[in-house]
Amino acid sequence: MTETRKPVGMELHHAIVSHYSAEVRMLQNQQYREWFDTVIAEDIHYWMPVYEQRYARDRRPDPTPGDAAIYNDDYAELQQRVDRLLTGQVWMEDPPSRIRYFVTNVEAFEIAPFEFEVFSNVLVHRNRRQNEVYVHTLGREDKLRKTDSGFKVFSRKLNIDARVVQDKNLYFFV
Amino acid sequence: MNGSSALVDNIGASQSRRVFWDQDVYQLELERIFSRCWLMIGHDSLVPKPGDFITTYMAEDRVILSRQPDGSLKAFINSCTHRGNQICHADSGSAKAFVCNYHGWVFGQDGSLVDVPMEERCYHSDLDKSKLGLAPIRVETYKGFIFGCHDPEAPSLEDYLGDFCWYLDTIWDGPDGGLELLGPPLKSTLACNWKVPAENFVGDGYHVGWTHAAALQMIGGELAGLSGNRADMPFDDLGLQFTMRHGHGFGLIDNAATAIHVKRDGYVKYLEETRGGIREKFGPERERLYVGHWNTSIFPNCSFLYGTNTFKIWHPRGPHEIEVWTYTMVPKNADTETKRSIQREAIRSFGTAGTLESDDGENMSSATYNNNGIITRKGWMNSSMGKDREGPHPVYPGIVGVSFIGETSYRGFYRFWQEMLDAPDWAAIRANDDTWDAMWTNRNFWPDRLSAKQAEPQD
Repeated sequence: MTETRKPVGMELHHAIVSHYSAEVRMLQNQQYREWFDTVIAEDIHYWMPVYEQRYARDRRPDPTPGDAAIYNDDYAELQQRVDRLLTGQVWMEDPPSRIRYFVTNVEAFEIAPFEFEVFSNVLVHRNRRQNEVYVHTLGREDKLRKTDSGFKVFSRKLNIDARVVQDKNLYFFV
Repeated sequence: MNGSSALVDNIGASQSRRVFWDQDVYQLELERIFSRCWLMIGHDSLVPKPGDFITTYMAEDRVILSRQPDGSLKAFINSCTHRGNQICHADSGSAKAFVCNYHGWVFGQDGSLVDVPMEERCYHSDLDKSKLGLAPIRVETYKGFIFGCHDPEAPSLEDYLGDFCWYLDTIWDGPDGGLELLGPPLKSTLACNWKVPAENFVGDGYHVGWTHAAALQMIGGELAGLSGNRADMPFDDLGLQFTMRHGHGFGLIDNAATAIHVKRDGYVKYLEETRGGIREKFGPERERLYVGHWNTSIFPNCSFLYGTNTFKIWHPRGPHEIEVWTYTMVPKNADTETKRSIQREAIRSFGTAGTLESDDGENMSSATYNNNGIITRKGWMNSSMGKDREGPHPVYPGIVGVSFIGETSYRGFYRFWQEMLDAPDWAAIRANDDTWDAMWTNRNFWPDRLSAKQAEPQD
């Protein structure tokens, strides 16, 4: 697909990249409540669809939010996931996992006044227990809204590259 | 080899830890269980039209399931009969033929070899194509659910499901058309032996309150009281547990079908509107099943939660790893909105990022890998809960345990597992048909309990 839109200017681009770095820092520090309250908009659609491996000639449409999806959450549902992690009774996160995020290839476009479509690549590196290591790569398609209290994401589509997820679960936020 | 009697102690209700670890045990399972049992491979709803196909696995064998022009089904090994390459690499689709990437051999929808490039110039009429079709697999369906089997001596699928059909009919036939599966499947790897999730689904009501404490607290609903095992309640009257001739089994939590679903109005309404039809068709005993929640395994490696409606296949990848495939079961005749809502909730709880599923994977991996220690592996695991509080029931087929928190169906699962490993062929298994449940010696448990209940003064 040829991109005909013009990317945002340097200053806005820098602001968005800085926002992502701050977001990642909260997640890495397990400040899930702060993360949720700071960066998630109330009209969020947090979506990780399932893409089958199909022949190139296959004309069936791509998945919609009505189809099977690993994540398909609204605001309250995402909040419940945060609440669960903070109950103190998620045994598999005690001792906690160590998760690092690497966000690259950030491209941002203005789609409406104060609203931006942002593409990025995310590499997630998860260490658990003594010697469990999991690595995931994802393409991320965000829609951000610039508000008085910073950027809020109201649409996040996560395209995980692996057809067979190489991990025991994907219960972490990206 | 006849080593399995050293692995399962039916009377003592325990299993050697080697069942989760040893390579030779796994090899025997591939030969004697996965090569001889009916294995779940699909559902009518996944291949609705002629030419539709899906690729799947039977244990570690790659398989193509293909809908024929006359509407029937065929399944065959997904491996070229020339030099062995995998023929179809797509998850699903529609195809007139399957063409091998290596030399271009062409196989028809029925698996027959229909074309060989430059056949005359290369083979000079010496190639008997009729003998080089893809290796066929027995395929049978029960209420739309499709199973494959490699053993010509195995019983029919209906006989293999056996007394479990009486239960399955309640939901797979249902009031008006039963269930279908929604894909595409979520897929993930989990470092565990395939039997750990199979046994967990067949009969583990015990872990629910503790393993899933956080999720139950967050979800609320009927099972919130189990969270953290805090509720002080008698378990005997909250459900039942069942095990069958061929190791299939399930635990029933009464009146809790939709307990794990948060947004459930459509599904609750559907069940309320259809339960009367179930009572009429199947009687009150199965109406009870219809509105309850089931944790179920069909021997060996297919599991589902009815009510939550997640549907799993645990494809083994050696003794210490599986590939988890997750579909959703939905009532065929529910409206689209209700189906989608069921799918969302089922995946939200038991998908790859599920609020409950993520608790389980950790346990399953740990229960497997701890046995890499040679001293640890010499130990035995215990599954004695509810022993002697179970037996034949005047209404419900199989062996029935008194509570969904019990290990009746664990014991039944491993009883049949051992029988399969020991038996040289299906004839030897059939020879046990009349005596398979002899290990349950408390034959009067249910008659005594039910007559005592009847004698109780009514309120």
